[in-house]
Amino acid sequence: MTDLSSFDTRQRLRRLVETDREVASLFAVATVCLVATFALFLLNSTVTVVPLAGFLAATGYGWYAHQAETARALTFLATVSTILVLGLITVYVFLEALPVFQRMGIRLFGFTEPIELFGVTLIPSVDSYWSTSQHTYSLIPMIWGTFVTTLLATAIAAPLGIAAALFLAEIAPPLVRETVKPGVEILAGIPSIVYGYLGFVVLNQFFYQNLEMANLGSLFLVGLVIGLMALPTVVSVADDALTSVPDAMRDGAIAMGLTEWQTMKSITLPAALSGVSAAVLLGIGRAVGETMAATVILGHTQRLPDPLQDVFDNTETLTSLIASQYGNADGLHMNALFTAGVVLFVTVMILSIAARRIELRMNRKLGGEL
Amino acid sequence: MSYPTDSALVVDDTGTAERLASGVVGLGLVTFVFSLLGLTQIVTEETAILGVGLYDFLAVGLLLMGVATVGLGVGSRVGVFNTTPDATPGAVTAALFGLGGFVVAGLLASQLLGFGTLGWLAVASLIGGVTFVGVALAPEDIGSTLPPGLAAIVVGLLIVGGILTPAFAWEPEGFSATLTGSMAIPLALSVTSLVTMWAGAKAYEGYGSTGRQTAAYLLVGINAVAIIAVLVGLLLFIASKGVGPAFQGFSLVPFEWPFVTNGYSFRPEVINGVFPAIVGTIWLVIGAVITGVPIAVAAAVFLTEYAEQGRFVGAVEIATNGLWSTPSVVYGLFGYAFLVPRLGGSTSLLTGMLVLGFMLLPLCLITSREAIKAVPDEYRDASAALGVSQWETIKSVVLPAAMPGILTGVILGVGRIAGETAPILLVMAGGLRDDAPNVLGSFEFTSAPPFVANDALLQSAPALPYQLYATITAGVSAENATEFGWATAFILLLVVLSFYAIGIFSRLYFRRRLNS
Repeated sequence: MTDLSSFDTRQRLRRLVETDREVASLFAVATVCLVATFALFLLNSTVTVVPLAGFLAATGYGWYAHQAETARALTFLATVSTILVLGLITVYVFLEALPVFQRMGIRLFGFTEPIELFGVTLIPSVDSYWSTSQHTYSLIPMIWGTFVTTLLATAIAAPLGIAAALFLAEIAPPLVRETVKPGVEILAGIPSIVYGYLGFVVLNQFFYQNLEMANLGSLFLVGLVIGLMALPTVVSVADDALTSVPDAMRDGAIAMGLTEWQTMKSITLPAALSGVSAAVLLGIGRAVGETMAATVILGHTQRLPDPLQDVFDNTETLTSLIASQYGNADGLHMNALFTAGVVLFVTVMILSIAARRIELRMNRKLGGEL
Repeated sequence: MSYPTDSALVVDDTGTAERLASGVVGLGLVTFVFSLLGLTQIVTEETAILGVGLYDFLAVGLLLMGVATVGLGVGSRVGVFNTTPDATPGAVTAALFGLGGFVVAGLLASQLLGFGTLGWLAVASLIGGVTFVGVALAPEDIGSTLPPGLAAIVVGLLIVGGILTPAFAWEPEGFSATLTGSMAIPLALSVTSLVTMWAGAKAYEGYGSTGRQTAAYLLVGINAVAIIAVLVGLLLFIASKGVGPAFQGFSLVPFEWPFVTNGYSFRPEVINGVFPAIVGTIWLVIGAVITGVPIAVAAAVFLTEYAEQGRFVGAVEIATNGLWSTPSVVYGLFGYAFLVPRLGGSTSLLTGMLVLGFMLLPLCLITSREAIKAVPDEYRDASAALGVSQWETIKSVVLPAAMPGILTGVILGVGRIAGETAPILLVMAGGLRDDAPNVLGSFEFTSAPPFVANDALLQSAPALPYQLYATITAGVSAENATEFGWATAFILLLVVLSFYAIGIFSRLYFRRRLNS
């Protein structure tokens, strides 16, 4: 039997040849066809369908004649394709953003005034932050908008979510827990456009009237709505982290005469800290990438709030920039929207890898399989 | 039934202190609930209770709470009440109260008294510092009751005395919003009532570690109930707005449900509906499932059954997590840059299906992998012992056993993508239409490659979430556009949340069966 887990292609092929020449030739045909399909699809050719039919025929025959080998090869192919999809996303979003990266350079993160340090200009200034007529694009207002909304959303979702998870995992009686936990998970499914509609029709007016704001829509409201939206996710994941702390740890503390609250504060929460922070990071990732609520609620002005800390002013987030401008964008303008996508993608990737690291550390620390 | 000594003890236990403390907590809960309602303007200061304006009524209650809390603290210190306080309330409590003092004093000095930056910083630091040191050095009963009690008394007096009225308006410098009295009063009421309740709950248990536990449980419990209440209230609000327009012209016999079975005809005499959007959403889901699920399940099989933990598996895990957390709008950009030019050159149903399928891939891969992992190794061993090959074992033992878990993951993933708007925005679009996309009837064979054509797949199609967005941006010309939007939101919620409900309850069911 061959071992497909080692993905050294040459070695694998050699073993295959040794075991079964027919299977090997079949695989060779299928591989050639698949590579050809992919290449032709990339080149946007109309004859893509020919090698695709060849691949389907080869796998079809393989399934009929050598099912076990074909199945193993197909599952391997599926696994590779997950990496391929991520690679394609990375390559194509970066490629489309490249013209603006080349044009703007570091000024993509430029302010209207040059940033200087000891007389050395670090980032030259831009005339305006976002001008489609002059093709000047700086992402600074959007990055600020995303930063502020994410900060507000996290300030709401993290403490309240963790406290609610503590209630569900440690305090609530089993009956309450068993009814509320699925409920919270269902609430996590409310689509963001529904929150957006609510924000657009009801909350925007409410804030406009009751806070006597100068404009409809504000970063504050977006942060509030996204925070509310991320709450169920944070509660649910943090609850999972808390319940995965072994009972033995709690029992030990209780046996030492601690109250339940003291046990939670000094044993359970610290033990689950990695999982809980992974939950918060997940929530932050959601908030950074949240598109529809921000698009619908904000007033879309590509400038920094004046003064900067005015969270009741309008600006733009990275996501809402893309969603509100893709319709009338072409050429460099469209490429500029892709730079926003690149910044989003990189930010969220970093958050995702950090969350994964923390989660792995938690698994190691608790010393068991989760 | 009980011994006389017992009842004497019980009477002693539920003495004045407990009654006073539970009174504080009870009053606090009422004040908190009403001030939250006031914050949403469901009730306003005009709402009268017993002939008194709501906020005056609540402020009197808060005043009483404050007096009672101070009384509880002082009474415990002079020995009127039988309590077991610790030496100090603890550094965290002191720091929080100090911070509260700093903020309040800073706001008063800078905004009302008009001090400069240095002035208000000095005043705020002084008050905050004094509060911090005072609380930290005081015994627990005094330190944790006096500050909340005094705050409650001050806020109560401000409102009852007519200084903090609904006409109050504070425009913080550097912010383009005004804190009006109608928001400030409920805000002040809710914060002070929360803190006073905390002190009351502590006093109820006679302070000490049990007191702290009860007080913390109270706050954590209120938080949990409030979150659930807000989210459920939100659902009910959308339902209350959407049910009316969604069921306009509904009848059971003969079955008629115009909103669900009609298209958007732009004719005033016909009820406009979302039928094309529902059909479009169904096609999107079908396409996404066909694209994403087989790849996800196959990859999950390979990762759990064939592959050994190593570099390759690690890379796949990173890729999966990356795909899982990639923002939906980035998927949209990817589809726009990669798929749209290669599939007909315009936004279409097909690109929408493929992009949503790519989004579904990591969701299903993670859940399928968990499901296959959860199949006990005994199953595999038993099958191997009978001489069954590895692939036969996977096909006829492992996959059937993992199927419920896989299906649950698919259902949950479908729930998530069915509500996605951002990728559809970029790769599919499609506005309000009268006719539903006819995918099955549009297949045609052509003589030129690619030999098969389907107009319906290569055109934009409407979908529920995008339709809701279109209602906002296009501002549908009809005058009942808002009602149409609410009804669409209601139907979308119904569709998405039922997917979630089915998925979550089937997961619970199978988990329970697996454990028993």
